[in-house]
Amino acid sequence: MRRFGSFAAQCGGPAGLAGVLIVTVLVTVAVFAPVIAPFDPLQVSILDKLNTPDNIFWFGTDQSGRDVLSRVIWGSRASLMVAAGAVMIGLAVALPIGLVAGFYSGGWFEQATMRVLEAVSAIPTLIWGIALVGIFGVRSAVWGPFTITNEEKLLGLLGLLYVPTLARLTYASAVIESRTNYVAARRLQGAGGLRIMFSDVLPNCLSPLIVQATLLLAIGIVIEAAISFVGLGVQPPTPSWGNMLASAREYLLSGEWWLSVFPGAAISLTVIGFNLLGDGLRDRLDPRHTTSGITT
Amino acid sequence: MMFGMVLRRVAFSAFSLVVVSLLLFVLTRSIADSPARIVLGDQASEQQIAQFDRDHGLNRPIAVQYVTWISRLMLHADLGRSFTTGLDMNRQIRNTLPVTMEIVGIAFLVASIVSIGLGVLSALWRDSPIDYLARLLAVFGVSVPGFWLALVLILALTVERDWFPPGGFVPLSQGGLMEHLRSIALPVFCLSIFYLAVLTRMTRSSLLEVLDQDYMRTARAAGLHAGRVLLYAMRNALVPVITIAGVSFGHMFGWALIIEQIFNIDGMSRALLTAIQQRDYSMVQAVVMMFTLVFVIANLVADLLNSWINPRFAMAAS
Repeated sequence: MRRFGSFAAQCGGPAGLAGVLIVTVLVTVAVFAPVIAPFDPLQVSILDKLNTPDNIFWFGTDQSGRDVLSRVIWGSRASLMVAAGAVMIGLAVALPIGLVAGFYSGGWFEQATMRVLEAVSAIPTLIWGIALVGIFGVRSAVWGPFTITNEEKLLGLLGLLYVPTLARLTYASAVIESRTNYVAARRLQGAGGLRIMFSDVLPNCLSPLIVQATLLLAIGIVIEAAISFVGLGVQPPTPSWGNMLASAREYLLSGEWWLSVFPGAAISLTVIGFNLLGDGLRDRLDPRHTTSGITT
Repeated sequence: MMFGMVLRRVAFSAFSLVVVSLLLFVLTRSIADSPARIVLGDQASEQQIAQFDRDHGLNRPIAVQYVTWISRLMLHADLGRSFTTGLDMNRQIRNTLPVTMEIVGIAFLVASIVSIGLGVLSALWRDSPIDYLARLLAVFGVSVPGFWLALVLILALTVERDWFPPGGFVPLSQGGLMEHLRSIALPVFCLSIFYLAVLTRMTRSSLLEVLDQDYMRTARAAGLHAGRVLLYAMRNALVPVITIAGVSFGHMFGWALIIEQIFNIDGMSRALLTAIQQRDYSMVQAVVMMFTLVFVIANLVADLLNSWINPRFAMAAS
């Protein structure tokens, strides 16, 4: 029991523990979707269409007789992939920018970068996401030997929209760390700028970034669902929670409640999971609360 | 000093708009298929295309096009005509923006007033039932996406019971006040709940932090009236709340697009999604620019409001 207690404390209390559990279950479900899903999510069966939930189809079936439970399980893949991919791209672009601007603070590079980042923070994410996906078009783009699916475009775009927030956060810690004595000592040892930046400054900037990244995962889940909901995200027949909700709309007035309730519940559960995890991590890693909360 | 601060803030917002609009302009121009191809089709000859581009000024260098576009927008509030449909975009915006504006405006007012009230109550009576209610609401509100809540509420309140219409917008002039309010009640609720939760949580934690400060203890020890102490506390506690409220107002426009879609409301969402379907990129650009403008102005207003109620913020900002 004591070991369990200390693990909960590691996660930042019982709420953090709940977050860890929810996220672990979700990732497991997404990774093992082919094994876990009871049916093929794309298998059309007109005879079974619009079945109410029963003990064969736990979440019922949709207008083409596809199993809703299996589609919700497979849908977790698209959601998590877009959310996680976007955060990774955001970090990959933002980290070097924030580090360099913070490490060489006082120079023109810092001034120019920070002003521009501050300026582009005035970009409302959801609108730009919708508009740019709309302009790109939802078809897969072929670029040399690569085929870029709409999901990949979406995650790239979201990732870039995260850059201002993440880069400013990196900068804020990097500028403080770069003025500490240990960095001065590393300089006197003759270590190069790049080396100090990545092996000494970066590890000490990570805490707030990890917390923010977790909260951005929650935001990414909702944004992906919203964009798929207006038909610009994951394209049918590939299931995603957003596009399942979009097709469920047509069956609202006729009362097929299971079509809209289950995918939405999946979104909510995921968002709760990442939020709890983020809050727990924040209590543990970033007690001064430098990260901003959840606003999309 | 105050005036200088205002000037700096306004100048920065203008700079911000220039950078963002340039980004938007370059993105739309570089990604989009050329308007000439969309209008004239694949069969059009090179000559026809060149003629179209000349007529619409699309053959000039992109920097010149940008400057023409932005100066018309800034100086004359003129978005111009769409290259694709030829429609006056100002008129399209005028037809759709007020509806979105009303829904977002009311949702924003509801969210701000309720959250500040609830946040204050829950901070003052910590660990009381009202505090638990506020905290529960805060968790619920940020976790349940508004567009899903909308679907569930339509299912529960319009299909099962006949409390609200399942969608559509009844203008004030057509159905009278009662029908008008009934038609926007659910959209407003679904839009505001997320921000209500965020702002309640923010108000609560910010006020708790301020109440814990030494100067608050001093104020109470000096025998100041409880109401006056709260007033002083609020001046400090509201700073982060107002900042987040400013950001929220801008983001609410984004979510309003989705909510309008669900409730079949003819606002900016229809304008934007129709433009995307018709590949009318000048209209997409115009809509996004309007939203960005609102976002920048909301942030600016939040900053100015903060430095007005709290001089310390003004000092820090300048």
